[in-house]
Amino acid sequence: MASSRVTAPALRFAPTALLIVLEAWVAWDLVSIADRRWAAGLSVLFAVNLAAMALARMARRRWPRWIGLVALGSTYVVAHSFALGIQLTAALAFLSLMIVQVEIRILAERFAPLFVDTLSPIQRKQISGALLRALFRLAVAAILSVGLPLLAADLATAGVFPVTTIPTALLLSAGLVAVVLMVALLPTLERRDRGKA
Amino acid sequence: MRTPLSSGLAAASLGLLLLGLAARTWQIVLLALPPIIVLAIGSIAPPARPRLAVVRSLSRERTDSGHDVDVELLVRNEGASLDLVEIADVLPRELVVVRGTHHAVVSLEEGGSLRLAYTIRPAVKGDFVLGPVRARSFDPLALGSQDAVVDLRSPLVVAPPMEDLRRATLQPRRTRPWFGQVPSRRIGAGTDFWGVREYVAGDEVRRINWKASARLEGLFTNEYEGERSGDVVLVVDARRDSFVGTEADNPIEHAVRAALAIADRVLAAKNRVGLIVQREVIDWVPLAFGRKQLYRILDHLVHVKPGGDWRFSHAGLVLSRFFPRDCLIVLITPLQDRDALGAVVGLAALGYDVAILSPSSLEIERRLRADAGVDTMAYQILAMERANLVTQLRRVAQVVDWDPATPLALALRRMGTWPRPA
Repeated sequence: MASSRVTAPALRFAPTALLIVLEAWVAWDLVSIADRRWAAGLSVLFAVNLAAMALARMARRRWPRWIGLVALGSTYVVAHSFALGIQLTAALAFLSLMIVQVEIRILAERFAPLFVDTLSPIQRKQISGALLRALFRLAVAAILSVGLPLLAADLATAGVFPVTTIPTALLLSAGLVAVVLMVALLPTLERRDRGKA
Repeated sequence: MRTPLSSGLAAASLGLLLLGLAARTWQIVLLALPPIIVLAIGSIAPPARPRLAVVRSLSRERTDSGHDVDVELLVRNEGASLDLVEIADVLPRELVVVRGTHHAVVSLEEGGSLRLAYTIRPAVKGDFVLGPVRARSFDPLALGSQDAVVDLRSPLVVAPPMEDLRRATLQPRRTRPWFGQVPSRRIGAGTDFWGVREYVAGDEVRRINWKASARLEGLFTNEYEGERSGDVVLVVDARRDSFVGTEADNPIEHAVRAALAIADRVLAAKNRVGLIVQREVIDWVPLAFGRKQLYRILDHLVHVKPGGDWRFSHAGLVLSRFFPRDCLIVLITPLQDRDALGAVVGLAALGYDVAILSPSSLEIERRLRADAGVDTMAYQILAMERANLVTQLRRVAQVVDWDPATPLALALRRMGTWPRPA
């Protein structure tokens, strides 16, 4: 019996579709840069991204995909930071779309081929439920990752929260460092606990 | 366990923050927030560590290589509900899954269970262990995972395939006082006619030679050649140098197969058989009769793996200390080094009766390589060197140059009675 497939075709093709949207977005931005030097430099970065993505597809390796995504994000951020100017809503949408693309690709890979030959209807239902829960969390994360910074920007521009001061920047940096440390150290602490147990 | 995605998000966030601060642009600083938000949402409900109870059952715990073994794995989730969990029964790479799967990605509710059924086929002999069972529970946002290992191990002993040597005549030349099936050149209980002597009171009537009695006007009795048993010691060369080829097709695997077949055949003919294996260590099985001895030898042969850098002549030390002089020594070696010649001459000089069965590493290597002009030339040179060595060895021992692609019985049958009577 053929192996069961739980993933809907839409989920299987969503990562590619999202990637095409992101590539087209950045290409459109590059076309609209008036300064030729910036346009030429960023075109090289964009070409690196395209080459890495093509390599990732052909060689079925992870590292070219990561290089491609970093090059794509860098092209967008640098283009808007130094040549086009930043439109906050569009930039947040772009960044969230990138994260969603990566997450959906991982979900599609994970749920696509289930390695059991036959799945009982109950197991099929459980897996579909797990997929729906994952997609729901992803949707919530995407909405919040656009909404919360916009809210923060609104508060800042309204003068409620002094964004441009040094203490605010330091506070944000400290918060970020704390999160990064947490992400980096948690596995080590867990391993120690396991060793003691 | 942290995934590369969570590290990537943290790095992106840090990079955007530093860029924003360097460029003094608050919009870029705000762009550092989306990755952090995704990380934060991911950490709200991390994946639960799998707590599984696993039972594995095998259709048999001892088998021959090439024979299928059915395995059933019952997994029960004794912990929290697992949205997506990957379960894998770790198998040694020598065991090939031919039906079913030992790997599944499923959802397991609290108390839920999963049954994995699969069939494995061992390609080579050995003492294998199935397990442990590994489980990995995934985070829905792919930011982390939790691993668990269930230390459930099931041994599986795989014996080498048994060759049929019923038609090959294998027997020691020198005999011992015990009854057996080897003609002893002494008068005794047997079936081969030896001579005629005068009748003595007490002789069996059925042994009287009536024709001779009528001709010579007196009673004469037939005498027969006694059949005794002998001793055979198998010496298997499993040194690292002897390993040429693949895991399933190499001189050591074929030597083990041949040793088992010869032991079975010689023991069935009521002889005593002993074994010496030259591997990481030199181990041996003392001479003994019977079916139990075959299993003892089999247990030793199952564990044979290439190893050790001994000189071939070291086996002679064990032979001279633990085995009698009048036994037949069957050396099973690919003759990879010229040290074999000196060792065999030394054994013959000590009075041992030596026979050599040599699985040809040259033929194994030739099958592995594509036909090319240079290879053909190299093969011819090496074949000539090997033929020279075999010719030199034939002065002191009988040698069977065996291409393992052909059945062992055929190679032995070509030699007639092996080893030849003196």
